[in-house]
Amino acid sequence: MRKLLFLATTILGAALSAASANAEQKEVTVWSWFIQSTMDKSIAAFEKVHPDVKVKYTYYNYSPEYITALKAAAASGSLPDVIGLQPGSLTQQYRENLEAVNERAAKQWGDKWAEKVFPVNRKQMLMGNPKGDENYYIIPQESQVLCIWYNRKIFEKLNLSAPKTYADLKAAAKALTDGGYIPMFQGAADGWQNENVFLMLANQFSPGIVDKAQAGETPWTAPELVAAMKAWKGLFDDGIFQQGALGAHAYPTGAQLFAQGKVGMMALGSWWMQESKFPPPLSEYVQNMDGFDFFYMPPVKDGNSASPPVGGIDIGYGLTKNGGKNPEAWTFLAELTNGVGLQEALNDLNDLPAFEGNSPKGDITDHVKEISARFMADLPKAENQRFASPAVAEALDNALAGVAAGSIEPEAALATVQAATDKALAAK
Amino acid sequence: MRAGSAVAAVKRRSASRASKLYLFALPATLLFVVFIAYPILWVAGQSLYVGTTGGAVFAGLANYITVLGDPTFWTVVRNMFLWGVITIPVQMLIGGLLAYFIERHTHALRGFFRTMFFLPVVTSVSVISLVWVQIYAPYYGIAQEYLKDVGIVMVTSPIGDPKTAIYALIIVNIWQWTGFSMLMYIAGIANLPGEVLDAARIDGAKGWRLAVHVIVPMLAPATKSLLLLGVIGTLQTFPIVHLMTGGGPNRASEVFGTFIFKQSFVLGDTGSGAALSVIVLVIALALSLIQIAALGARLSPAGRQRP
Repeated sequence: MRKLLFLATTILGAALSAASANAEQKEVTVWSWFIQSTMDKSIAAFEKVHPDVKVKYTYYNYSPEYITALKAAAASGSLPDVIGLQPGSLTQQYRENLEAVNERAAKQWGDKWAEKVFPVNRKQMLMGNPKGDENYYIIPQESQVLCIWYNRKIFEKLNLSAPKTYADLKAAAKALTDGGYIPMFQGAADGWQNENVFLMLANQFSPGIVDKAQAGETPWTAPELVAAMKAWKGLFDDGIFQQGALGAHAYPTGAQLFAQGKVGMMALGSWWMQESKFPPPLSEYVQNMDGFDFFYMPPVKDGNSASPPVGGIDIGYGLTKNGGKNPEAWTFLAELTNGVGLQEALNDLNDLPAFEGNSPKGDITDHVKEISARFMADLPKAENQRFASPAVAEALDNALAGVAAGSIEPEAALATVQAATDKALAAK
Repeated sequence: MRAGSAVAAVKRRSASRASKLYLFALPATLLFVVFIAYPILWVAGQSLYVGTTGGAVFAGLANYITVLGDPTFWTVVRNMFLWGVITIPVQMLIGGLLAYFIERHTHALRGFFRTMFFLPVVTSVSVISLVWVQIYAPYYGIAQEYLKDVGIVMVTSPIGDPKTAIYALIIVNIWQWTGFSMLMYIAGIANLPGEVLDAARIDGAKGWRLAVHVIVPMLAPATKSLLLLGVIGTLQTFPIVHLMTGGGPNRASEVFGTFIFKQSFVLGDTGSGAALSVIVLVIALALSLIQIAALGARLSPAGRQRP
């Protein structure tokens, strides 16, 4: 009988202790499109430092899953504590559901914390805010710099070097095509890749002009932007992009072909480095990034310089109103963007940091270190890549596709972007 | 007096029984109200507001006027019309022919052919889209690999040309859904009354004559069902277009699904997205009523009215 009583007491004690442990275990819910394997490492690192907090991460494909899930959750008041965001339009769509994080960030990282964020990121953090609203609703985790990657092994085989002029670029494209390779893969069915190339071109004609145009300070029909649009069309007409680019997607098609060594060049960004950290088997080109190096778009017109670095926030996170009620949510967000969580993402070469003073560690070759260092040196002077209004970005996507297809002239196409900008600015 | 009270009692019992019977309809009614009627009314209400949910302002019919004045809307209407008038009859025709030949002229391999032609219907749209993007790709694409053997070089992708994008997508849709039409016709053929076919044969009908004058009319219920489902499916088109062209280039292949998605989720303009949804609902309702009025509501042989 005594034994039975002892056993019952022990079971009851264990159950109560487990219940108490569960009660002490706090939970943070996170939604994002950020790659699951890297996020798992960031979460593991966070939970090691904060063993009393459990992070529940839900991964979504960006479109349509993530943006529809956010919309539905925002409408029903059931957003998770922390959500992945892009600066500008996506952040602005959910501004009313987000906490301003200025005070929390100052408490976490000191009053001058914002100065540790790279300038282009800082600008993008406020992008689209109503006039006078200096609150930050997004904390950036990673930055990116846009560039043109090239397969240096194929270039070497064909006796080519990184193009320094437009003539070089055309000659390289021709040599690649003649050699049976895709010259420069453009997934022109994807608006984002078209925007990126156009931003490279426009900033080459006049640095910062796209920012001025979207702010209404310069018309979209300005000569520099028209010239950039004509240069964009030239990339199709001059055989720089592959035939049928308008029906192609950068991911997964283009990226796979590029990784397999079937493509000479591709306009991507610093995030391409992560290919070398994907699970094996990896191609000889992707292994330690041995096959790849990058350059900026060479001058497409006499008198121009090569495109300046263009970039900004790759991904950031916002603290929702629900997350504002959960103290651990900010703790996780802070570690993810500028702490142990970020370090894991950097070690995975996911992209560049958004805060100064961070760098990848671990098993990284000298070649990758050198590429990463070049990106980091260019990041502080990068031009803005993002749009404050989704309607303007959408109009530009349509204009670029229309011009590339030859169904609309550059001036007329840019006039449609101007109309969208006027409407967006009037509604603000 | 007794007879009168008996009648009254019967009436009371009958009324009480009827009210109890209504309770059986309650679960279905509740489900309909919660999951269909309420969302429709909510969307209809949203279509009268502009701005975000928090700061929405009543705007009357402004969203409808904006949507109807947008040239993209009319591109969508044109695309939807093409989609319907091409895919529905072509799928029916090919599906019907496949069903006829599989049921009449295959024996041991009947199951194999049925499965093979039905396979695209159950294949993930994402996979289908990826494969067809590769098929259409010039220079490095799958079709190009075969075409170059006969000296044909594709210079552009059909989904990358605004003039051909919608037709290229329609082909993919036909390829995917023809198996469904085939299955419907197979079910119809299997249910054909043998005595009618025997009688027709005795009267001398065979081959083409038997197919066109006897089998096709007897398959009318399957045809009507496919027509109704085809119209609804056309208005619901989204994944193939979203994944293959995103509605481009320059909105050339936009359909209602992608247009509503962009307005509501990409641009954050819930009001005009809701207005578009209401317009689609009205179109679907009108087309369904027209079909029912023109073709009748009976969609199965068992449902035919007795003489």
